[in-house]
Amino acid sequence: MEIKDIISSGLLELYAAGLTTDKETNEVAQWLAQYPEVAAEFNVITACIEEYAKGHAVIPSPSVKEKLFAYINQDANNKVVPLSYKETNKVLSLNTVPSFWRMVAAASVLLLIGSVALNIFTYNKYNEAGNDLVATKETLNALQEKNKITEEGMSVVQNKYSVPVSLNGLEAAPDAAAKVFWMKNTGEVFIDASNLPDAPQGKQYQLWGIVDGKPVDGGMILTSKKGDKYRIQKMKNFGKADAFAVTLEPEKGNPTPQGPMYVMGKM
Amino acid sequence: MEVVQKYNEEELVLLLQRQDQQAFAYLYDNYAPALNGVIFRLVEDKALSEDILQEAFLKIWNNFTSYDKSKGRLFTWMMNLTRNLTIDTLRSKGYKKQTKISGDENSVNNLQDNNSGVEKFDAMGIRKQLTNLKADQRLVIDLAYFYGLTQDEIAKEIGIPLGTVKTRMRTAILELRKMLQYS
Repeated sequence: MEIKDIISSGLLELYAAGLTTDKETNEVAQWLAQYPEVAAEFNVITACIEEYAKGHAVIPSPSVKEKLFAYINQDANNKVVPLSYKETNKVLSLNTVPSFWRMVAAASVLLLIGSVALNIFTYNKYNEAGNDLVATKETLNALQEKNKITEEGMSVVQNKYSVPVSLNGLEAAPDAAAKVFWMKNTGEVFIDASNLPDAPQGKQYQLWGIVDGKPVDGGMILTSKKGDKYRIQKMKNFGKADAFAVTLEPEKGNPTPQGPMYVMGKM
Repeated sequence: MEVVQKYNEEELVLLLQRQDQQAFAYLYDNYAPALNGVIFRLVEDKALSEDILQEAFLKIWNNFTSYDKSKGRLFTWMMNLTRNLTIDTLRSKGYKKQTKISGDENSVNNLQDNNSGVEKFDAMGIRKQLTNLKADQRLVIDLAYFYGLTQDEIAKEIGIPLGTVKTRMRTAILELRKMLQYS
């Protein structure tokens, strides 16, 4: 509806008397809030009605005002309206209901605070548990790896085809020692280098098999990995060998032994 | 001599929301005669009218927080509250709603006959202007604002179709505005 149609509809006049239907009442309330022109028109209408009512005024006895204020003061002192039960009930319910809802609101706030605190606590616990779990998993992985290495080593040692060869310390390192396990069925070679001193920076041990009096490259030996001593490790295969020896060479190794010999042992 | 404090409507509403007794006294002095006029039109009994007036003002005092100024001026709220209370009281006391008013009855003169206090009221100027309002226009205003009839009841009382009640209201109020010199 356009503004001028609203104004000329007569609905505003009925609304002022409280005579509009529920639907009309909602419409008019919305127009009043939406259109300043409609609100201004409504104001003039109600001002006219006020004037009209004043034109029909009947002055009440002065005793009415006196009694009224006596009641109000009594009410203020006693918090009771003695006029009628209806009125008393209304006043009571107006006062009690909000206080009940105030209690509910206060309880809700307390519950909320408690819930937030519990959430923070639980979240921290959850984080702690998560960290613990990660640490435990890391430990477990490390142990599993260690176990795997040990098992591999054990399987080499326990293998019925395994021929152990002790390599003893020479001049360069009299205390050094190593053990080679040669599988006579497959020719696989494993070395336990745990009793070799750590190789200096930039150097690495190299295994040699002595075949027909000549040294043949058996592969590079790792003495440590991430701080852990390397235990039994697989080297190059040898169909046959007379002896095994370990020399210290530059990191990538040499085709023929150049560096000092640390340990050696005959089959 | 008592100092008479004057309030505009906004101040009055704010103070009444805080249960200010001085503001309430001002409200009573300014509106009790007009509201009593509304009640008196319905009950036509001075003592009963004043009982209802007192109860109406107590209601206004105790339920003032339910007044929503976005929904119209203070007087309109008080007038509708007072009229509804009067109609409820009449019903509970076994009265029938007084709807027997004829179009050519001069209610202004009747009121002057019924209550001597009226003549002292300073709204005499308005009263004179209102006598110029056409009888059928006065009737529709009275039925709606004083008697609180529904649109349906107004249509039956005047003998017009329901659809024309709105336009009749509009015309009557426009005429009233002219008379009160509102643009």
